[in-house]
Amino acid sequence: MTELKGINIGLFDYDRHNALYFFILNGDEEIYLRYGGRDSVSPDSYLSLDSLELALQRGLELHDQWKEGNGPAWEAPEPFYPEQMPLLQEKEVSRGRCVECHMIGDYQAAQLELDGNLDKAKLMFPSPDLKKLGIELDVPKGLLVDAVSGMAEAAGLQPGDTIAGFEEHKVYTFGDLQHRFGKHARDATSARLVVDRPGSDEPIELTMQLEPLWWVTDIDYRYWSVDPQAYFGDEPLSAERKAELELPEDALACKVTSVNPRAAIVESHALQVGDEIVAVGGETRHGGLGSCGLYIKINVKSGETVTLDVLRAGEKISMPLKTHRQYYRKNK
Amino acid sequence: MKSFLAPVALSLAALAPASAAVNNDSDTLSWTKSYDEALQEAKETGKPLFLEFRCAP
Repeated sequence: MTELKGINIGLFDYDRHNALYFFILNGDEEIYLRYGGRDSVSPDSYLSLDSLELALQRGLELHDQWKEGNGPAWEAPEPFYPEQMPLLQEKEVSRGRCVECHMIGDYQAAQLELDGNLDKAKLMFPSPDLKKLGIELDVPKGLLVDAVSGMAEAAGLQPGDTIAGFEEHKVYTFGDLQHRFGKHARDATSARLVVDRPGSDEPIELTMQLEPLWWVTDIDYRYWSVDPQAYFGDEPLSAERKAELELPEDALACKVTSVNPRAAIVESHALQVGDEIVAVGGETRHGGLGSCGLYIKINVKSGETVTLDVLRAGEKISMPLKTHRQYYRKNK
Repeated sequence: MKSFLAPVALSLAALAPASAAVNNDSDTLSWTKSYDEALQEAKETGKPLFLEFRCAP
């Protein structure tokens, strides 16, 4: 099988920008666990043969329990098929094209945008970064906590704990945990973890107080899925550089690290590598979105033009940047 | 794993060659690319399914 047409993507719901993703389930299509997940650094940061073996063993244990009538609780999600997505149907399925997994994510966002229902906060950041939440895992050992900081440390999570639950859900793998974080409400102020701790006979419940924008991650690796297109890469200016420029710590200030050749083709902008952007559309504070590219993705609509304040060779210049929408999101 | 799992490989990207979804050690693990066939096998044998989605990064 080489494509997703005819597959119940409502059941097999995951971040389609994973290079590999696994499910273990039974013949009644009850999913026991998932294996996969990623961060912005690499598609395989959380993949290892050891943790895969652990997941397989756990899946078999859960299956044995299910056969004995003691399987985990299961509530089937609403079935949903790629063919039910109008834009995908029109642009790909009806033309006999292969529907690849990443296209599901792309067209889900495109369809929602078309319908005026795109929740960028949830759709564009489906894989929260556990390290940002203060959770460092011993990856080969599944959900064994290796180190803690920030929000997780404040909640009482400790190295040596094994995360076993998120809210009301049991979790068995990193994929399970990241998926649950991904589904958590973006305006939530807390999240409940259940952990197994050496020396404790009972599971321990912890409540993490979530900081604003806890779900924001670098989304460069999924940039094709995220409109508008601005055709440049950037990184936030260092604290030292901001101080040199007498900018506040939370200044929206970035250095251009790459320019997509398409910028010239579509006459999007005239940025150059090394340029420093110090305002986007008059906004000078990043509001938690570190990079200028990310700020544009979240705050600018496709097709809009914004004015950039740019420092180049000691001169401050104003420059228009026209954003673009990808071809398959056009029409209708 | 052969006797415990009914593995399904869904090779879901044009960039991923179909053969990439097939385990090299075919003596110990045999994949099918049809979800429906694997599901039927799971129903008949009582085995769990191990389902792989593969996509170009």
